[in-house]
Amino acid sequence: MIERTPLLNIVTHAVLIFGALLLAVPIWLSFVAATLTVAEVNSPNVHYLPGGELWNNLTAAWTRADFGVKFMNSMIVAIAVVIGKVAISAISAFSIVFFNYRLRMVFFWVIFITLMLPLEVRIVPTYAVAANALYPFQAILDFTGISWLIAQFSGVELSLEWNMLNSYTGLILPLVATATGTFLYRQFFLTIPDELVEAAKMDGSGPFRFFFEVLLPLSRTNIAALATIMFVYAWNQYLWPLLIITDRANYSTVVMELRRLIPGPDAIADWNVAMAGTLIVMLPPLLVVILMQRWFVRGLISTEK
Amino acid sequence: MQKRAYFKANWLAYLFIAPQLLIIFVFFYWPASQAMYWAFTLEQPFGGGNQWVGLDNFRAVFSDETYWASIWRSIVFAALSTGLAMSMALVLALFADRQLRGYRFFRVGMIWPYAIAAPAAALAFRFLFNPQSGVFAYLNTLSPGLWNPALSGVDAMTAIIITQAWKQVSYSFIFFLAGLQSIPRSLIEAGSMDGARVMRRMLDLQLPLLAPTIFFLLVINMTDSFTDSFGIVDILTEGGPARATELMVYKIYVDGFQGLDYSGAAAQSLVLMALVILMTFFQFRFIERRVHYT
Amino acid sequence: MQKKLIASTLALLALTTSAMAEKVKFEYWYGLTGQLGEQVQATCDRFNASQDKYEISCVSQGDYATALQNTIAAFRAKKHPTIVQGVEVSTPDLMLSGQVYPAYKLMEDNGFEIDWDSYFPGIANYYADSDGRLWSMPFNSSTAMMYWNVDAYKSIGRDEAPKTWEEYEQVLRELKEAGNACPSGYAPSSWVDLEQFSMVHGEPIATKNNGYDGLDAEVVFNKTLHAKHMKDIKRWIDEGLLVIKTRETGLSTRDAFAAGECAHFFGSIASHQAVTEQVDEGFAWDVAMLPVYEGTERKNSVVGGASLWTLSGKTEDQYRGAAEYFKFLAKPESAEFWSTVTGYIPVTDEGFDYLVEKGFYSERPYKGRDKAIESLTYTPVTPLTRGIRLGNFVQIRAEWTSQMQAVLSGQKTPQEALDDAVDRSNKTLRKFERTYNGKTLP
Repeated sequence: MIERTPLLNIVTHAVLIFGALLLAVPIWLSFVAATLTVAEVNSPNVHYLPGGELWNNLTAAWTRADFGVKFMNSMIVAIAVVIGKVAISAISAFSIVFFNYRLRMVFFWVIFITLMLPLEVRIVPTYAVAANALYPFQAILDFTGISWLIAQFSGVELSLEWNMLNSYTGLILPLVATATGTFLYRQFFLTIPDELVEAAKMDGSGPFRFFFEVLLPLSRTNIAALATIMFVYAWNQYLWPLLIITDRANYSTVVMELRRLIPGPDAIADWNVAMAGTLIVMLPPLLVVILMQRWFVRGLISTEK
Repeated sequence: MQKRAYFKANWLAYLFIAPQLLIIFVFFYWPASQAMYWAFTLEQPFGGGNQWVGLDNFRAVFSDETYWASIWRSIVFAALSTGLAMSMALVLALFADRQLRGYRFFRVGMIWPYAIAAPAAALAFRFLFNPQSGVFAYLNTLSPGLWNPALSGVDAMTAIIITQAWKQVSYSFIFFLAGLQSIPRSLIEAGSMDGARVMRRMLDLQLPLLAPTIFFLLVINMTDSFTDSFGIVDILTEGGPARATELMVYKIYVDGFQGLDYSGAAAQSLVLMALVILMTFFQFRFIERRVHYT
Repeated sequence: MQKKLIASTLALLALTTSAMAEKVKFEYWYGLTGQLGEQVQATCDRFNASQDKYEISCVSQGDYATALQNTIAAFRAKKHPTIVQGVEVSTPDLMLSGQVYPAYKLMEDNGFEIDWDSYFPGIANYYADSDGRLWSMPFNSSTAMMYWNVDAYKSIGRDEAPKTWEEYEQVLRELKEAGNACPSGYAPSSWVDLEQFSMVHGEPIATKNNGYDGLDAEVVFNKTLHAKHMKDIKRWIDEGLLVIKTRETGLSTRDAFAAGECAHFFGSIASHQAVTEQVDEGFAWDVAMLPVYEGTERKNSVVGGASLWTLSGKTEDQYRGAAEYFKFLAKPESAEFWSTVTGYIPVTDEGFDYLVEKGFYSERPYKGRDKAIESLTYTPVTPLTRGIRLGNFVQIRAEWTSQMQAVLSGQKTPQEALDDAVDRSNKTLRKFERTYNGKTLP
């Protein structure tokens, strides 16, 4: 920027270099592991420099996990989750921040609480919902006697069914619904000066125009950050896909296959192959991160108070 | 925290929030409520039957002193890992945001570990913490037996805190940087015209403007370290040695997921949820007061 | 997306007619990954190639716990597989589920003659009901062994593995005096130190014949020879004869052994394959049966690993397919394939004899694996060496392990730790008993 601060610049560089190295050490070690033989990777001495087995391990991982077409599935799922999440959480945060209605705080907490019980803990009942996503509604209709009424009058027995097992919808929809995005947008929307809202109202532009023409352009960096995080998050999911996808040939994702490379307790500890698989699988999110960070550019719009 | 300017047309507000509510109802509240019901019963895993036992499961949990220990341990873990990750990420983001030479390189350098973090962390940290020849083994050359996470609970706890913090640094950095970048340039320039030095400007101008992001990350990181840390524990310590790293969520995972004790795990889940909600509520109540949004 | 309003009777009709013409498909979910998972997949491919009426679809679900958990989740939604792989200690949980189609019945109903007596008793009884009928098909099976470094033994002028713990202690001392920094690796393992140890010594782990005779069994391992053993282990560690090797310290006992660092480790015979792969060429090592204390009469050891369970709610055709698959696995050729690509052992006399005849065990790298069979069949099973039938045993294992870790770090004496482990384990058992109130083990 404008002023000259040579000493601080040196400190800045030193801190940044140190930070980047610190963050990279574990990743470097896993890269090195992917270049070793199975004996080397299990030797008592930690290897800091790469060995010569990278190509063999990569091909072993590739053939064993049969990644090929599964990249497409992972891509579809991750992109859909990103779009769904960015969109859904933007509009729900918009609702919570820019409208005044009685239930808004209740809704915010209702959404927020979903962060507090991880999927692992509720996986058994959640599966039932994936097998029939309309089951809750069916149960409510049955319980309230509405389905009985319908059966009485029309003679049709009401049976709602929407099976999400072995489908993209089943892979995507449950991941779209967490609260991180809504919370992030809320935090950002709250910093938007009231004057902008007033100005929009004076112009006679409604909430739609305000949302698309003022709010979204201002949220650009935050959207980029959220999209990056969500892409990686969706890409790395394995517990849920493992459960609902049994049609491995058509719907399996790469991280599901990667999990199957991880050696169990009785197996040969071929972490070198597992790590080579990791390298392959992590390439797309890496590219996404590198591409997305170009969006982290300071906005020029000033608030001009 | 309250805005003063609102749009009318409330039906739109409901319309906008409906998709999210619908999805969380189906995929979260409905199934979670079933799991919660188990907390008051003894549930057979295959659904062969259950019996109402009232608060027995909770009584069992609270009369177990190891459970109380796991509550305190979880709080310490959350506080330390969040503190470590956020302070490191904040310093790095503030410095990276100065946009000196090599800024783009550093921007990538801080973010990319996030892309690889979860799947690779397992093995990498086992190498790092190896007391014989890992990076931490250096401590043992200073004084033998100084570092041994297999025997020392403190060492094992240190190991999982470092791993969790490492996982969260890049994550926090991304949002900090995004937050810093959405501070309008004109404000910063106005600051430097006033002759404010760089450090002073960081403290007086950028930090307060970053407060909403700091608050966001504080809540998210705390929640995450309570609810999403069992992967790390499972890989590095399996809760040991002698329960020294048995966090609440890991105990739920072991009892319910591996031990098939659905009812005990459900009761523990309710306690965990209540605790996290309480803490989050506390954060909103007392910390958010100090956040100025506009 | 099919959002449908249908008369449910019609839907049922449609379902049953569509599956007639083509191959009968059924699913099998298993809990192995890595190289082992790949080999399970290979057995499925071999089965599919061997006939054209059935098509088995094998899905790795991660580890054993995940596979069982996912099966339960799917079962509750009626979308479960026909066959699931269950780890040995989950036997009582599965038996009491009321949703298992017992293997003996499955085979009988489908007209397959299986020579059940051919199964090694140390394996069969683990999965059998009180009448000795198998509820699941033994699959990947192993037992605990002592691995020893032949080269290290040579350096102290020995060429035979110790048969007693006293002799083992002597060997450790000699190795240490000879300058060996790690005479033996050690990591607390309930499966080796408690379960297999108690079996080969004929000591009870729990009352009611280790739980076989009722859900009201109580663990008693704080009062048996096991307590002495843990005191010895603690003493050996203090003297530097055993060195703690865990994943947290970088290498497991097995990997430390394979790297030539430690001269012994105790573990599953299934590790034979992994050690073979991991050792340097020319490194001489071997396996032996677990030692016993002097003055005890050695008994048979029991199985470790997993077996295959058939679940209720499937079609007759699918059950027929499952039975065909089990029959296929029971063939000696299948046993040979499985023993060649993994370190697991055959489960029947028939399979074992077939391999012995072919000279399978006489040459490297399979040489020595037959000692696992010797250990399993050392004596006829007694009421105390059939196995363990205790509910939620996974939690009991975890309890034992954390108590032992407290011993290793000096927080408790072995006896205190075992007393605490027994107290807490019995609470787990009482809870299990209450959960299955009114049910009895078959």
